[in-house]
Amino acid sequence: MFLKIDPNNGIPIYDQIVRQVKYAVAEGTLTPGQLVPSVRELARLITVNPNTIQRAYQQLQDDQVLESIRGRGLAVCRTAVKQCVQDRHDLLRGRLEQVVQEGLRSGLEPEQLKSLFEKILKQAAKTEEM
Amino acid sequence: MEPSTISIKGLSKRFGKNLVLRDVELQIPAGCVYALLGENGAGKTTLIRTIMGYVKPNSGSISVLGISPQNDPFALRRRVGYVSDLPALYDWMSVKQIAWFCSAFYSSSYSENFGRWATQFDLPQETRIRHLSKGMRAKTALALVLASDPELLVFDEPTSGLDPLVRKEFLRSMVDLAAQGKTVLLSSHQVQEVERVADHVAILHDGKIALDGGLEQLKDTVCMLRFSMRDPLATPPASVLNLNSFHCEVLGRTIQMAVRHLSPEVLEQIKSESELMDVQWIRPSLEELFILCTRQSQAPPWEKPWNTKSPGGELLRA
Repeated sequence: MFLKIDPNNGIPIYDQIVRQVKYAVAEGTLTPGQLVPSVRELARLITVNPNTIQRAYQQLQDDQVLESIRGRGLAVCRTAVKQCVQDRHDLLRGRLEQVVQEGLRSGLEPEQLKSLFEKILKQAAKTEEM
Repeated sequence: MEPSTISIKGLSKRFGKNLVLRDVELQIPAGCVYALLGENGAGKTTLIRTIMGYVKPNSGSISVLGISPQNDPFALRRRVGYVSDLPALYDWMSVKQIAWFCSAFYSSSYSENFGRWATQFDLPQETRIRHLSKGMRAKTALALVLASDPELLVFDEPTSGLDPLVRKEFLRSMVDLAAQGKTVLLSSHQVQEVERVADHVAILHDGKIALDGGLEQLKDTVCMLRFSMRDPLATPPASVLNLNSFHCEVLGRTIQMAVRHLSPEVLEQIKSESELMDVQWIRPSLEELFILCTRQSQAPPWEKPWNTKSPGGELLRA
């Protein structure tokens, strides 16, 4: 699991960790039952304050993505994949909302936005096929 | 509340006519990475040297690990590791010799510890200090300090002038020390680095603490509000006047304010005001907070000259 932290992108660092772990689970890079690095290991690995990592792991436990396995550390929950795919879709939805709002603010009509979206979607589907 | 590792009250220091530290108050909790941010000349180094007992303050009190640095500097230095930005090392000694020299001041495990760090940092044991690169010298100084296994580590601008790899090594050791429950105090103007490794910050400006607190709390409680006035000469609505703002900038009819504890209800109210256009708000990054604290605040246009309440003059604590 590789995490990329950018202190300047406006999202709190702990939240960046939470999101990226969820993405990794949704993608299958992290599989259910797999152990994640300890707080200290991850802190060293990505040079981020251990309390920040602790907070991210706490959040991931509250979201039932990670569970503590006594004496061994934290592992990905059996049931996490579905949840993470869902969370990922929610995040995507949020980003789409922002784009749509920006489009409307910039003076585009809903119909124009729609055709723009469909055009981009078509293009993306084409490159996906290739 | 955890006990404070460093407790500073009413500290002032004057060099000749120059007041370098003004009434500094600081509580540094145990087990945190505490970053002291400030421009060049803000007083960071003087504050750190006062904490280490190298500089005597004109007034105020300091307690570090329960020790007074003025009364008992030697007891303090045995328990605190200090890495200055220009480490003074005897440059005619080899790395091995200087480790042997330092080991006399500490417990018997010092040499063994140093060996471990030297291997980790790839230090050439037989090379004289004089022949080391700046990065290697810095790593030698760090290894010498880490080998004494101090409870508190104090870094003065640890990463300035170092290449990204050495820099990473320094940051990694700070993070690792924090994970072991030790306290780290560092001064820096590298905001990005601080944002990663620190959990508490204090911004020092002109010898005064302009802002301090937990990094997350600071970012959660402060918000930047930007709006334009339809009529730049009118008095804005009460919802704006009653804001708890501590910094203000005016650019034509656009006004940007730094506001504490902006509730969603008040924000909605401001968005709905007919006199205001284009209301935006953001959570500032540490860099924006830093720039905010080091820049002069302007009086908003509706504040009459005789209303001399300075929005930037008061302290902000989260």
